[in-house]
Amino acid sequence: MPPMKNDIETGLTYWRSLDELARTPEFQEAVQREFPGDDWDRLPSATRRQFLKVMGASLAMAGLTACRWPKEEIVPFAHRPEGRTPGVPEHFATSMELGGVALGMLVTSFDGRPIKAEGNRLHPDSLGALTAIAQADILQLYDPDRSRRLLLRESGQQYVKTWSDFEAVAVEDFAGDGTGVAVLAGASSSPTRAMVRDQFLEAHPEAGWYEYEPISRDNEREGTRLVFGTPLRVQPKVDTVGVIACFDADPLFDHPSSLRLAREFAAARHPETGTGARLYVTESSYSLTGVRADHRMAVPSSRVPVVLARVANLLVAEHHLDLPAAAAGYAGAAGQEISEQEIDFAKLLAADLAGHRGSGVILVGPRQEPAVHALAAVLNQVLESTLDYTADPDPDRPSHIEAIGELAAEMASGSVETLLVLGGNPVYDAPADLQFGELLARVPLSIHLSLYDDETSQRCTWHLPRAHGLEAWGDGTAWDGTLTMRQPLIAPLYDGRSVIEVLSLASGLNSISGYELVRENLRKSASSIDFEGFWRRALHDGTVESTAWDTVQTRLNPGRLAVAVDGLRALLVSDPPSADRPEVVLIADSRVWDGRFANNGWLQELPDSLTKVTWDNALLVSPVTARELGIADGEIAVVEAGGTNVEVPTFVLPGQARSSMTLALGYGRTAAGRIGNGVGADAYQLRTTKAPHMVSGATVRGSGRSYSLATTQDHFAIDTAGFKERNRRVGELVREASIDAYMANPEVFHEHEHHPPLISLWKDQEYEGEQWGMAIDLNTCIGCNACVVACQAENNIPVVGREQVLNQREMQWIRIDRYFKTEPGLGSDEIDNAEVVFQPMTCVHCENAPCEQVCPVAATQHTTDGLNAMVYNRCVGTRYCSNNCPLKVRRFNFFNYHKELADTSKMQFNPEVTVRARGVMEKCTFCVQRIEAVRIGARNDNRPIADGEIVPACAQTCPTQAITFGNLNDSKSSVSRLREEKRSYATLAELNIRPRAHYLGRLSNRAAGAGPDGHGAPHGEADSHGKETA
Amino acid sequence: MSTPVSYLDNTGDDPAVRARLVVGDNDFHSVTNTVCGIVEQPRPPKFWWVAFAASSSLTLVLFACIGYLVTTGIGVWGLQVPVGWGYAIVNFVFWVGIGHAGTLISAILFLLRQRWRTSINRFAEAMTIFAVVCAGIFPGIHVGRIWFAYWLFPIPNQMSMWPNFRSPLLWDVFAVGTYATVSLLFWYMGMIPDLASIRDRATTKLRFYIYGVLSLGWRSSNRHWHRFEFAYLLLASLATPLVLSVHSVVSFDFAVSIMPGWHTTIFPPYFVAGAIFSGFAMVVTLIIPTRKFFGLEEIITARHLENMAKIMLATGMMVGLAYSTEFFIAWYSGNTYEAFTFLNRAFGPYAWAYWTMVTCNVLVPQIFWFRKLRNKTIILWVASILINVGMWFERFVIVVSSLSRDYLPTSWGYYRPTAIDVLTFVGSFGLFFTLFLLFVRFLPMVGMAEVKGVMPQAHLDRPGHRGHGDYHGDIAGVEVV
Amino acid sequence: MSTGNTTRNDRAALYGYLVAFDKVDELLVAAAAVRDAGYTRWDAHTPFVIHGLDAAMGVKKTVLPYIVFLAGLTGTAAGILLQWWTNAVDYPFLISGKPLFSLPANIPVAFETTILFAAISALVGMLALNGLPQLSHPLFSNRSFKRVTDDRFFISIEAQDPLFEVAKTRELLESVSDQPVEEIEELS
Repeated sequence: MPPMKNDIETGLTYWRSLDELARTPEFQEAVQREFPGDDWDRLPSATRRQFLKVMGASLAMAGLTACRWPKEEIVPFAHRPEGRTPGVPEHFATSMELGGVALGMLVTSFDGRPIKAEGNRLHPDSLGALTAIAQADILQLYDPDRSRRLLLRESGQQYVKTWSDFEAVAVEDFAGDGTGVAVLAGASSSPTRAMVRDQFLEAHPEAGWYEYEPISRDNEREGTRLVFGTPLRVQPKVDTVGVIACFDADPLFDHPSSLRLAREFAAARHPETGTGARLYVTESSYSLTGVRADHRMAVPSSRVPVVLARVANLLVAEHHLDLPAAAAGYAGAAGQEISEQEIDFAKLLAADLAGHRGSGVILVGPRQEPAVHALAAVLNQVLESTLDYTADPDPDRPSHIEAIGELAAEMASGSVETLLVLGGNPVYDAPADLQFGELLARVPLSIHLSLYDDETSQRCTWHLPRAHGLEAWGDGTAWDGTLTMRQPLIAPLYDGRSVIEVLSLASGLNSISGYELVRENLRKSASSIDFEGFWRRALHDGTVESTAWDTVQTRLNPGRLAVAVDGLRALLVSDPPSADRPEVVLIADSRVWDGRFANNGWLQELPDSLTKVTWDNALLVSPVTARELGIADGEIAVVEAGGTNVEVPTFVLPGQARSSMTLALGYGRTAAGRIGNGVGADAYQLRTTKAPHMVSGATVRGSGRSYSLATTQDHFAIDTAGFKERNRRVGELVREASIDAYMANPEVFHEHEHHPPLISLWKDQEYEGEQWGMAIDLNTCIGCNACVVACQAENNIPVVGREQVLNQREMQWIRIDRYFKTEPGLGSDEIDNAEVVFQPMTCVHCENAPCEQVCPVAATQHTTDGLNAMVYNRCVGTRYCSNNCPLKVRRFNFFNYHKELADTSKMQFNPEVTVRARGVMEKCTFCVQRIEAVRIGARNDNRPIADGEIVPACAQTCPTQAITFGNLNDSKSSVSRLREEKRSYATLAELNIRPRAHYLGRLSNRAAGAGPDGHGAPHGEADSHGKETA
Repeated sequence: MSTPVSYLDNTGDDPAVRARLVVGDNDFHSVTNTVCGIVEQPRPPKFWWVAFAASSSLTLVLFACIGYLVTTGIGVWGLQVPVGWGYAIVNFVFWVGIGHAGTLISAILFLLRQRWRTSINRFAEAMTIFAVVCAGIFPGIHVGRIWFAYWLFPIPNQMSMWPNFRSPLLWDVFAVGTYATVSLLFWYMGMIPDLASIRDRATTKLRFYIYGVLSLGWRSSNRHWHRFEFAYLLLASLATPLVLSVHSVVSFDFAVSIMPGWHTTIFPPYFVAGAIFSGFAMVVTLIIPTRKFFGLEEIITARHLENMAKIMLATGMMVGLAYSTEFFIAWYSGNTYEAFTFLNRAFGPYAWAYWTMVTCNVLVPQIFWFRKLRNKTIILWVASILINVGMWFERFVIVVSSLSRDYLPTSWGYYRPTAIDVLTFVGSFGLFFTLFLLFVRFLPMVGMAEVKGVMPQAHLDRPGHRGHGDYHGDIAGVEVV
Repeated sequence: MSTGNTTRNDRAALYGYLVAFDKVDELLVAAAAVRDAGYTRWDAHTPFVIHGLDAAMGVKKTVLPYIVFLAGLTGTAAGILLQWWTNAVDYPFLISGKPLFSLPANIPVAFETTILFAAISALVGMLALNGLPQLSHPLFSNRSFKRVTDDRFFISIEAQDPLFEVAKTRELLESVSDQPVEEIEELS
């Protein structure tokens, strides 16, 4: 009988070895003596006295075992592991896998505590940058809500178990040929897992193997299968592209290679050196790519194929594109009514594509049907588009939706006796029509390996704590196939084990450690004789050079094309949605993804790029449709489809296609943890195997009840005076011009500045030595929020919760200001296609800082190297500085926001940065701790600080490198050179605040002869004069 | 006193006859009796107890709120970014403004030889002090780390750190501190002779000793009176620029910033006018019930009320002028941010507050044009209360509406006070009235010595000279050196 | 002088004479008379300030204004020095790109300190010159004198006055007032 685990929750005991000690026979004996004849597995039955004794004992042992570090040797990126100097941060290359693709990371570890994740420069999909989600994953590592022990649920009772208990069970259940055994795993690119899976299937040939991911690119995969006969992986390249046509696609954000693509896109958009990369986007709801588009058309998701078909049609008819005979069917496929706007758009795009043969690319989003991808593949093929294909790592795998469907059928038939669920959360995220939760009840023995005791675990007989990515050995492959290593940075905090460990255990091999498994697998790909050297090299780099898959030469397969054409025809005949029968598009959330990050405070409080909503998902509705349906902004809407109702607050978003609504998945969790439970509405209830991405013909009505969404910016709907003024100011704050206008007249960004001469009452200050400054390029910023999370992780910025955000007390030091540009004269409920611009906003460290002079205690002052410094322990908190800050970038600790923080969460804190007290003002410091670290280093080996040596967290992680930091007194530094550019301007310069951070104007690249639709026209002008936006 | 109202009416405007400042058949002794009588009655009247119970319990609410604030954090208020200042600062400016009437009446009217001030200045000064006490609380508790609020004072410390004298908040510390001190001195000094009266009439030992000590052994010596008069004159002439400076400095908190709607040169005069306006309103609000309950109609006469009504009318018009000037300049300057701020005040989310302010401060005082209305005590009283409301809203509009929508539309917000905000404000009234009630119970609320000085009996009995001020010492048998 | 001494020895306990008046007019006439008789150590006591009485008594103008003026100057200097020393010398830092010491920002505080110093000196100076607080005084021993803070006017002549002579002085006082002249004893 295993005692002693039932008290773990009482103490703050998160050391892996606690239960190991607790399992020693002597100790169990002792416990027996202490509490004879009582069933110690039942939590409720413990009396207070006994409880206290047990707790005392456990805490004592916790103390004994507090000093355990990983046994296996791991290799730091920059230092040798021996010779570890306490207090000196070390960097380890590792990786994180999401949706079956590995993303390389570089994790900073401080005295054995991983505290911050950054991108791995050597990794093809990272190039040094990292997405917001991947950065926030480190918070999950320390999440106190993670499951801390094995649980066995039987006949309504809950028992605490140990791994040895489970091993015993596993030996029985996984004996034999695996009849009645099924494994449900998430997608994985890990060769090691593939190896272990094969071992498992060898051991149990009859066992069923299923892989399910709620969010995937299966449609693209199937599309290529249609065209080329075998599934291929699309590898777009946009660094030298002239035209990008996106159909519901978001390559800059929603793509496994989005970081690389964004970097390439930024290069292509450079006014002098770029190739233009004119961006056409057809989509139902604003994506980050859509925000950056030169020509964007909002059409319902179900209309996107029509537009693409029309483009194909025009390419053949007007631009004499020679499609192979079989594919020619596409030309006729666009035979149904189409609006003027759609025709114009298609004409423009077709012409541009025809003009950019060999330097254009057509991208289709993962939510579009395979047939649409097929068409795109055909066109790309014929247009010699800038993309490659690589073979699919697992060509025979059925699509995830099919897989989960088959498993459900098996379970329904009762032929599944043992179900092993490795990760994932099918009860929550499987298509609703499968009723997975109910089916699970029919399986006698179900085992769930998971980070949390979540919805699925609670319906399974066994719950096994899973090791976090940073706790376990592993590997994976990048989108292009590059082998990527994963090494643990800390011993499992909560006694978790990794997928490969559990799987190998189930394979009958008595638990082999992940370390050995990964090494064993790598041996195969080890070319050199010296494996140890190869191994160390691999761990050191995090990737293995030149392991990317070879590109395959593709040929259209006429036989299959016909099928594709029919598939497309079928799509085209569906009648367009209307306000009373709207379509509801279900998308992956930009923050909690498919829901697995629901308990992550950083992500929950991260404002959505477009809506700026935190702590919720919302039904995005176009202003016009909202008016037609009589639904107010913030009113709770009832979405009804297939007999299920989902209640979700509406957010009126201009630029949303009429009669098409968008709802993010991943919310409405019931067993996510204290942070994620009950946040938002569960969109999975609307998801079916037939239509996993889009619910057509839903009915949406207002409930009359309103709900306040916690947005970090004001809603789009606003009183008339404010609405007008906001539109008027945008042009001055976020300056934009067409690239032609800029090339013709570089002064275009300054033409309309006029204010009285900026003279000072006193002699101007002299600034000697290093003077730090920043340049932020609005032309490359895509508003992806990566910088916001990077800053939060680097600077110990607290999460304050929905209530506080509602009261505008969010704490992020850097924010992405989002502005809508709308045709003047329209009311906020008439706007159909507003343009969106982003402006990263943080403390610009004014030389004449308004905040400094008003502080009565001089708690904020200027440093000699030009930083606007905040002296926390001198601050008394009058908030006068914040009032007097024209950019409102200062943040105030209204409460002690760290009060309820668990000890584990505190382990994430960056020891180089003060944790601010209650009643103190705080703000961006330009990452002064990084500046000082470099300065000290430079002093020690007594050399000047090199340009680019100091990189603030936000700049470090920016995928497009839009943020540049450096010394303004060095005319050769890149930041100085950027400030020299004609695009460079300072916001609110007329106040003579002399910001140290400047912005580079945004450039649009519209096709010649495009009709005016408020897009890309030079906005830098006009507005300051109240003139109409062109 | 049951004297017919007609007899008490001294509001005539016939230039030939000087209105009497004290009505009824009062002589020096009866004045002493009336005023000292209030202090000497063995136990205060019932209404006093009722009022005191109410106000002191409100005071407890105030301290409860402060306690909660200190233990929990500024977050218990509705403050946020962008609106970093809310009720606390609004209340501070409101109370400081009220605190202007006293010194104004005692100092400026003294220099202007407005003899009618004598019956009300003690009262007004007391009110000033209590208002400043209430005002002083708020800057203290509105900081994030209240326990470090003393860092605002230039106190030498081991870290040899000093406050930043460029900050208007520090100017505030000195201005309000000085103002409180000087008002207190002024008030106490004027009270010395009257405290002596109470001492000399004392029937109990306790009262004799207490008031004896307080009156510093004043023996009405004319050689003392001589220096007393000089000191009083000097204090008055020092307090006059001071009283004008205090609210100017308070207005610098806003004018020196760069926020549209705050950064305005008109603020100092505008704030001072508003302060006088609200100060007189509060005096009227308090004095009308007090003179009724304590039977002081013959000393604090209808004419006093009428004069104050006239001053409120005048200052109300000044405030109105300031409002319109702001709008004009916002448009005329061509500064679009400024222009929007004012457009937003009148038609934005806080329009309700703005129009409340305009109604109470500009429209209501207009009724004082009509003698009938301004001489109706009840109408005057209600109007004065409305003006207090309006002046509070003026500060609310200035502080909150300007902050809520500044330069970047992305940081615009809307400030909502919490229950704690409101209770703290209400509680401050409790403190104010508690102090006030203690004052009327234990201290001479009318400056007897000064009132006697302006009574007809104080002057030579000569035709055409009745009730006139100065005696020029030109009587038979006395030649002046 | 010697006579003065002997007389004083005879009436060791005598502080002086006190006589009351009902009307302001009588008081003024009496004051002028006493003044003309050349007495120096005497005083008039009134419930309130009587304009013209100073002239009638021949009281010289007080030096208080000069004291207050000097105090005011001190205040200004102190204010400026404080700000200069703290912000420019002892604890200098770069604020909003402004100079360490600039008069415009320092005027408000300097002004307030000026007023503060001057005001305090006005009250303290007045009390000091008046020799107050002085809680006990021979005059307080006289019952009727209590009405001096109510509605009565008095003139007192001190025995310390060089011209004081029991008979002559009493005569003088009786001539100016119809009320009895009272002897006031020194405090024992």
